[in-house]
Amino acid sequence: MNPHYCCLSRNFSAALPPLLPVQLPSRMETHLWYVVPDEVKSAPLLSKYMELLPQYERDHVLGFRGDQLQKSALLARTLVRTTIARYQVDDHLDPRSLRFKRNIHGKPEVEWETKDGFCPPPLQFNISHTSSLVACGVTMNSLIGIDVEEKRRRTKNNILAFAKRYFTAHEVEHLNAIPDSELQQQEFIKLWTLKEAYVKALGKGFSSSPFNTFTIRASSGIAVETLDSPQNLTNNWQFALLELMGSHYVAICLERQETGGAGKALPIKLTARKTIPFVEDELVSGTNAVVTIGGSVTQF
Amino acid sequence: MASITRASVSMPSLSTSVNQSQRRISGMNSVSFPVSGRSMIPSLRLQRGLQVCCAAKQETVDKVVAIVKKQLALPADAAVNGESKFAALGADSLDTVEIVMGLEEEFDITVEEESAQSITTVQEAADMIEKLVEK
Repeated sequence: MNPHYCCLSRNFSAALPPLLPVQLPSRMETHLWYVVPDEVKSAPLLSKYMELLPQYERDHVLGFRGDQLQKSALLARTLVRTTIARYQVDDHLDPRSLRFKRNIHGKPEVEWETKDGFCPPPLQFNISHTSSLVACGVTMNSLIGIDVEEKRRRTKNNILAFAKRYFTAHEVEHLNAIPDSELQQQEFIKLWTLKEAYVKALGKGFSSSPFNTFTIRASSGIAVETLDSPQNLTNNWQFALLELMGSHYVAICLERQETGGAGKALPIKLTARKTIPFVEDELVSGTNAVVTIGGSVTQF
Repeated sequence: MASITRASVSMPSLSTSVNQSQRRISGMNSVSFPVSGRSMIPSLRLQRGLQVCCAAKQETVDKVVAIVKKQLALPADAAVNGESKFAALGADSLDTVEIVMGLEEEFDITVEEESAQSITTVQEAADMIEKLVEK
């Protein structure tokens, strides 16, 4: 698969060039878009991004302490607006015009215009960011949660003490069984991102699914088991765990849409693109920038 | 998770992490009058109307600030006060949970998920701590 580059003029004193449009994901597909903040260095470009945001989002971005935090907050808003705009739903070409709202549990959603004859698409999205990576997952219809984290993220607290306090007994056991502290740290981060992704996919807030009320099992494939129904591995949700650029874990949790024969889950069809909105887009799925390390995934 | 919050600090068997002055405040039946001879800001509690309830002591706020600075690796002279929002300081969800864990250890309390989710600022954390410590 050849990467697709679209490098446009870097003269940002003029209006921004159009975004490369993209087809909506099919019902079976998941799109992953990400930005690497360190690669976005142009101050004029960042100003242009700021101009895409409504005032209250600009205020929110500026409320972060320091340039780096403001930059990743800005890129998160920019990524979600430009990504959704690319799908050109109902001629919504302008990322500025998108409106967002929160569901009753606080999960962000697109607020589509109510117009005669316009049936909003069941577009689902979720964002996650650290200072070094901003990511957005998009599906049609399938609830999605994503979480990203640096592989080498370290907790201040001792991992087992933290896990005993917040994770389930099975997960503590799993971590405890890892003799190498470096590997244990990485396993912890993987578990954390998977648990975050699950709760974000559910979209009901963290208090409705405290981390110690469900176990993520990641031996063969990844599955979630809720404590109140331990006999049934909750088959509604499927997971992918990716290693991005060798430096980050990305956990994706999706509501299962269809199964193959005999209730067997079909793999997640993933398309991953790295982007600097209005500057360049690169299809990276199937390259070694995106390595599947858990879950059943086919990359396109 | 255990939902038992630590009982009132008037019980001598409790952890010594609760400091002397807090113990004395909580030992009183009412905190609606100022405590003389102390350096911390007295709590105010209005019965009706505008409920400016239970503003936490400066000492509690300072301890929360210290824990937040440590978790987020902020310099000691970073301007962090009651109004500071964790997220604005750069705390992601893992940081926030670690901060809550640090507060639990420092103040010998247990924080439920519902409460933890609603804390977004230093002041809110301090107020919640005081409520839990008072019980």
